[in-house]
Amino acid sequence: MVQTPDKPVTKLPPSQHEFADIIHRLEAGGSMLPDTPENLMQIIGIYKAYAVPMDFYWRDLLYIAEQEFLNPFPFFKYFISQEYLDRHNHYAGDDADLRIWRGEATAHPELLAFMEKGETVKMPKLLHHLLHDRINMEFAEACMRAMLWHRQMYAPVNQFDAYLDSEEYKANADRAIKAYFQGNPVMLGMYKLFPDMFLEQCRQMSYYSNLGLFWEVMAPVFFEMSDIYDEGGFKSVPDAMNFLVNGIFAIAGRPIYHHVYIRGECYEIIPKSKGFTWLYEAALPYVEAVFYRTAPFRGTKSYNAQAGQVPDDQKDFHYGILYADVFPVGTAGIPPTLLMQDMLHFLPQYLVDYYQKYCRGEEDILIQLGITFQRSMYNVTSAVIQALRTALLYPLDDPNPKHLQANREFFEAQLNRFTRTEYNMRNAARLRDIQSQDYR
Amino acid sequence: MLSVLIWIPILSAIIIGFLPGKVVPASRVRLVSLTIAGIVLLWNLFILLKFDISNPGMQFREYLPWNETLGLSYQLGVDGLSILMLILNSLLTWIAIYSSDKDTHRPRLFYSLILLISGGVAGAFLAENLLLFFLFYELELIPFYLLISIWGGEKRAYAGIKFLIYTAVSGALILATFLGMVFLTGSTSFAFDAVSTQTLSAGLQFILLVGIILGFGIKIPLVPFHTWLPDAYVEASAPIAILLGGVLAKLGTYGLLRFGMGMFPEAWSVVAPTLAIWGAISAIYGAVIAIAQKDIKRMVAYSSIGHMGYVLLASASSTALALVGAVSQMFSHGLILAILFHLVGIVEAKVGTRELDKLNGLMSPIRGLPLISALLVLSGMASAGIPGLTGFIAEFIVFQGSFSVFPLPTLLCVASSGLTAVYFVILLNRTCFGKLDNLAYYPKVVWAEKIPALVLASLIIFLGIQPNWLVRWSENTTTAMIATIPPIEKTIVSQVALKQ
Repeated sequence: MVQTPDKPVTKLPPSQHEFADIIHRLEAGGSMLPDTPENLMQIIGIYKAYAVPMDFYWRDLLYIAEQEFLNPFPFFKYFISQEYLDRHNHYAGDDADLRIWRGEATAHPELLAFMEKGETVKMPKLLHHLLHDRINMEFAEACMRAMLWHRQMYAPVNQFDAYLDSEEYKANADRAIKAYFQGNPVMLGMYKLFPDMFLEQCRQMSYYSNLGLFWEVMAPVFFEMSDIYDEGGFKSVPDAMNFLVNGIFAIAGRPIYHHVYIRGECYEIIPKSKGFTWLYEAALPYVEAVFYRTAPFRGTKSYNAQAGQVPDDQKDFHYGILYADVFPVGTAGIPPTLLMQDMLHFLPQYLVDYYQKYCRGEEDILIQLGITFQRSMYNVTSAVIQALRTALLYPLDDPNPKHLQANREFFEAQLNRFTRTEYNMRNAARLRDIQSQDYR
Repeated sequence: MLSVLIWIPILSAIIIGFLPGKVVPASRVRLVSLTIAGIVLLWNLFILLKFDISNPGMQFREYLPWNETLGLSYQLGVDGLSILMLILNSLLTWIAIYSSDKDTHRPRLFYSLILLISGGVAGAFLAENLLLFFLFYELELIPFYLLISIWGGEKRAYAGIKFLIYTAVSGALILATFLGMVFLTGSTSFAFDAVSTQTLSAGLQFILLVGIILGFGIKIPLVPFHTWLPDAYVEASAPIAILLGGVLAKLGTYGLLRFGMGMFPEAWSVVAPTLAIWGAISAIYGAVIAIAQKDIKRMVAYSSIGHMGYVLLASASSTALALVGAVSQMFSHGLILAILFHLVGIVEAKVGTRELDKLNGLMSPIRGLPLISALLVLSGMASAGIPGLTGFIAEFIVFQGSFSVFPLPTLLCVASSGLTAVYFVILLNRTCFGKLDNLAYYPKVVWAEKIPALVLASLIIFLGIQPNWLVRWSENTTTAMIATIPPIEKTIVSQVALKQ
């Protein structure tokens, strides 16, 4: 557990790093995001707005992974069954495995209300879908695909990803595929001819499940943080960060698996018994893939191989939310727009009032909330960095200067990701921008 | 009937300017002038409705004897050449007033000067007497000077004085020529139909025509006399730039057609080849210089020089088609320049700069100025002669009408129309496209600011796909004018034959 020391650590000489202030703040148990009441209000408000669509995302991701599976024509994959809306979140409600949020375990009431009426009026689901009055599930799939396409990024630590290439996984998948297409000679024949095609789809489904299980945790965490803030529980940004850190440790050992339900029977493609856990197999790869890397936005970078704008090596990808330019949100070719539009429906009133006062008020609320979202994700990343430091290194109040030095080197190495000069990464990183309240 | 167009604006200018604040409070002046301009516009549309297209001559004539000894009488009339210009004048006056800042300082003076100009311009287009035309023509001088040098930009004093001197010289040249025309022919009156230059020797006709060309050439402006224009247009505030470019430039080309071509048909055919080349050079020059500009308002100003070159080419060609093209080009240029200046004015007001190097990404839908950028693209295309918009119609008629007479200058003008596309693409690329600077919080554009641009844009599109409404008014008048001009090919051939 992380404790914020009463006074800043002064045992080490000041850091010479260009983000020395931020490093000192991290060493004092703080966040990369400056600790101001305004920042706290913004990030909590956006956690709330993010958690409601996330409550849909995780349910639909699991629905696709478990029910749609290899459906060659998944026309209705965003129409999740009542069963999945009623599905009990494992971390909320009375029957929770580990109760994080004190609210209901079924789908969030605001989400249900939105699914019923949307921005327009009450009408059948299909019409809501066709009028694009809906949750942009494509964003969740894009995050999933970012994780899939950045496979092998945590090669030695990450077991889940390596398992997808093992003979055991192939055998499990083979059974499920054959069962799924039972009585369908065309697809079975195709599977005979091109087994890898189906296997790769199956791996993608495993990532659907992986991300769904990751967000099943994050949604109640964010709901609870919002409730605690409303009750006056959080006094500062580090408080909010520490809640996340504690949540990460509490939940770290939760299982990551992939089950498929075919004709009422459960096929364990990745069984729980493999012992894949939430922190190492879902949370850390997610942060790396989605916060740092993702894929270059079609609207900002040229994929022209001769122009050399996009890195050759995936480890140099820097298009995640920590680097994203949020100003063109709402323009063609900027994927986060999908998420910003989703969050727009669920903003708490205090955040709407806050945005009214700045820039263009209601008109550019999509960009203002995008920047808030960026701030909040810097806070989440700070929590991950602090959690890693707790897991791998030493406490912040360690009396041994060598240990403190090791902590400092760790923090500096983390912040060096925002100072690299290749591919203009340095200018893309928004760490410097979020230090100022004028960035909105 | 026509007097209304002149005297309502002028009288209300006086009323607005001198009535005590109790009757018309300063905050209401804009609204009052807008209403007056609207009434004039409606009246003008009514005249357009009553206008008999089949009649090539003057209509709705009015006559009042005034100063018989001078030969000055109050004679008004409207024909196919001037009817569109009148509409343009009242439309742009309304738009200029509408697009003016709500808290302009010294509103009384500002709006009364604009109305004064509106009345004066209408008078000049309507006058059927040389001296009366000149009176109205000179009436623009001081109001414009004041409008530039009081409400203008940073270098307004310099631009104002430059404009004043150039226009005064232009006026002097025109007056001298008018006097010469009347005294040399021994006419007793300054009325248009009383003056017949046909009796003069070819040399005298030629000298007088040169006087007309130089006098109006400054106003149009033609290339060596254009240097007042970039300064005046750029330093003037947006509504004034709309009037300057939309209306005042038309006064120059109108004068050239009415007094140059209309009154010296024979000498006109002699100078026509020179004028055609001059027009082509003007067009190329305007486009090439516009390419080099770093300031969007300057670009638009130079585009005006280029487009006026087409009018000169068309008038030089003196075919019926080319002349219809000239009138259409004058009208469409008025619309296009007005919308461009209006949009540039909004960009400057919101972004705070006109520099190509600083503007960026205005097309951005949420933080940029998306509608303004879209309209800017539309009007840039209209200016560059993209089919479907009124600019193409006018330019194509001009080219089609001129090619048979002056193939080479026409080709040069076609090339310059290509260059127009070049600098407008540069302008649009640098301002609308690209990425917004972070930390750019432009104020939003309110609906009231968009309306003039939307009105002009719909006119530009409508006339682009239904060009009959653009050309039908002037066809008969221009055909009748052309009939008096000796065919130019023959003139060239005979000159060449004479030299041999």
